[in-house]
Amino acid sequence: MNKFILIGVATAALASARAQDAASTPVASPDVESLRQQVQALTETVKALQQQVKDQQAAIDKTNGTAPASSPNPEGSPVAAATSPSPAASAATHFATEDASVVSSTSNAPAGLPGPGVNANGTATSGSFPTTDTSVVSSAPETISSTGAGASLTQPISIGGGGKNYMNISFDGLFALAGSSARDLDHIEVGDHDPQQRGFNARNIELAFDGAVDPYFEGFANIVFKLNNDNETEVEVEEAFLQTTSLPFNLQLKAGQFFAAFGRINPTHPHTWDFADAPIVHGRLLGPDGLRGVGAQISWIVPVPWYSQLILGVQNGRGGTGYSFRNPGDDGMFFDRRTTDRELRGLQDFVWIPRWENSVDLSPTQVVLAGVSGAFGSNETGANSRTQIYGADFLYKWKSANAEGGFPFVKWQTEFMYRRFEAGRGANESFPVAETFQDWGMYSQIMWGFKKGWVAGIRGDYLDMEDSKFTDDFERQSRSRISANLTWYPTEFSKIRLQYNHDFLYENFFLADRDVDSVFLQFEFILGSHGAHKF
Amino acid sequence: MKKILLILSLTLLCAFAAQAKLNVVATLPDFGSLAREIGGDKIDIVVLAKATEDPHFVDARPSFVVSLRNADVLIDGGAELEIGWLPPLLQNARNPKIEVGKPGRVQASQGIRLMNVPTNVTRAAGDVHALGNPHFTVDPIIAKAIAQHIAQSFSAVDAANAGFYDANYKKFEATINAKLQGWGAIMLPFQGQHVAAYHDSWPYFAHRFGISVDVFLEPKPGIPPSPSHLTDVIGQMKSQHIKAIIVEPYHDRRIAEKVARSTGAKVVDFSQFPGGIPVTNSYVRLIDVLVSRLADALK
Repeated sequence: MNKFILIGVATAALASARAQDAASTPVASPDVESLRQQVQALTETVKALQQQVKDQQAAIDKTNGTAPASSPNPEGSPVAAATSPSPAASAATHFATEDASVVSSTSNAPAGLPGPGVNANGTATSGSFPTTDTSVVSSAPETISSTGAGASLTQPISIGGGGKNYMNISFDGLFALAGSSARDLDHIEVGDHDPQQRGFNARNIELAFDGAVDPYFEGFANIVFKLNNDNETEVEVEEAFLQTTSLPFNLQLKAGQFFAAFGRINPTHPHTWDFADAPIVHGRLLGPDGLRGVGAQISWIVPVPWYSQLILGVQNGRGGTGYSFRNPGDDGMFFDRRTTDRELRGLQDFVWIPRWENSVDLSPTQVVLAGVSGAFGSNETGANSRTQIYGADFLYKWKSANAEGGFPFVKWQTEFMYRRFEAGRGANESFPVAETFQDWGMYSQIMWGFKKGWVAGIRGDYLDMEDSKFTDDFERQSRSRISANLTWYPTEFSKIRLQYNHDFLYENFFLADRDVDSVFLQFEFILGSHGAHKF
Repeated sequence: MKKILLILSLTLLCAFAAQAKLNVVATLPDFGSLAREIGGDKIDIVVLAKATEDPHFVDARPSFVVSLRNADVLIDGGAELEIGWLPPLLQNARNPKIEVGKPGRVQASQGIRLMNVPTNVTRAAGDVHALGNPHFTVDPIIAKAIAQHIAQSFSAVDAANAGFYDANYKKFEATINAKLQGWGAIMLPFQGQHVAAYHDSWPYFAHRFGISVDVFLEPKPGIPPSPSHLTDVIGQMKSQHIKAIIVEPYHDRRIAEKVARSTGAKVVDFSQFPGGIPVTNSYVRLIDVLVSRLADALK
């Protein structure tokens, strides 16, 4: 500081001397002459002083380095600071005896923990390299609100930057171009969001919302628009539920319209699937839309050292989204029975959906997740007919320790389901017999992400439907399928998928066997907030 | 039945034994390393992402839910680097101690002025982060600020050891202040030099040491290098006499090597994370290695 004052004084003196000098020239008198001499003498003195200051500065630099550089405009943008890093660059030109300064600077460390702003003031060390920088670390916590919000759903991430919205919104468009040897692709494909006709299909155009409701709840909603084969728009409230955030004892409650936590595929949305269509067993036992409905669910993380979660859901199970349960069927018929379509009589008419899932890390690159699920309730084919579905699922995933963008990886997923369906005699005992169907099926798929953005997959499907001499329903045909696909994800917000399916439909009492070949070109885009990927 | 009881009591015992130390979870290894500096042997730490993997894409493993459920303190970036995997974990962890705003939650970006905050948010520009560039811990001055946040959080949650955390923070700060002199001196001859990198992870490091990392092999953040873009990069590198290409452990090094062969530049293996490259088991060691590797390449 001293030398700055010195320089200031010296330059001021010099300036005034120069000014007097200039003013005096036009008038030539002896007085002036003597004055001029005086001025010259003064100028010499100033010059000498200046030199002295310079020498002194050099000496100081030699021992101490430069004085701590003041921070470059704290309000200025860091980008601008980056292009002219004044503290780093200018100060750094005087590194000479850095060892000495290093030692001395350590003894000068700031004391205490003044606040989150960190040593923005009064922490000048005697070192030559700046150790504080208010252009990157703000001094007051109030000034950084825009960066503090973010990565947590309790503080919703904005879509426009800055964490200033109360809700995340995203839009997903999933389309498919289909070619098939079958004219009735809507009978070959079992899922409601699968391609339903030759040519273009738009079966899953989805609006998704989520955010913190208040300090106690988070809210989620997925509204799906789809175009039927006559290009008419249909709307589905696929999911809309709230979920607690802070119940004690590792409990969590969920209520509203939601996918049942049954197996791997059922609780997920079609655009996250690894194939362009639903596994056969999923579409035929849980239903074309999966098992979802209005209800409530409680889950508990079991306090053991590995991941173990118990879930119990309860839903109305009524209508098409409760397919194997209180489903009145198309035109009031299900498995050829006239359905009863009755009101809820008691707890036994709900669908109860327990699940237990466990996961361990086999190694830092390998994870295994296994679960068992059940769904129990009544169905509409008789006064007291019931349905039980059991499921087991297994997932193995390997991901490289040097994964870029999540690639490369290998993922093996298998699900098995068994359904015991008591088909009664229908409304008013109108059907000649009561039957009990024991149906089962499974699928297994391996996905190989071999290169950033590229995934190849194969899948095998099998469904065994108990044959019946009384029930003429194409949905009760046993069948199998092999599929292979290749997906390119240009980014996580878009994908293009080419899939080949070969279907075998087996002969039964009413239906002949047949083979079907299909090819799908699926494409997807996502707008809006960045969705996170569940495991 | 007896066996079950035994297992149960053992588990409970383990739980109590673990209670003795502060359970800390860090999303990324850099935060984990800073937490170790502050917490020493008074904490048990779990780091979710591996030092060698792409921090943008980490699997939301169920085992992470268990770690988060048990956490007394969670340290995350808070700048959307973990947006693709942290939110579902936190939803499932149901742990009120680590909610935003609680003393058990450290969001590292708090108090940090993020660089390259986009004025217009469009994904046409690639994977740009709306809140700014989230790769900030590699600036030692910022690391000090994060370490201080961590010390404050630890002290608030575990008041009995506040003095210990405070002392460790002061020690860390002094070390960084001292080390900066050496690092600054090593980087001094390369002021203003341009350096290429695979991904735009280095603006904070560059700002600190007066270099410019402004040529990227990725045409846009997160978009894989295309041949035409690499041709442009090679031209640019030649005209600017760029001598180094920074790659991280999860990048395709062969692409960087190809560019290096055509330009005469060197491929420099960098990591944002302690442990991402060999012999970088602590934050200070990491910056040591980064500075000396880059200086070697620029000579």
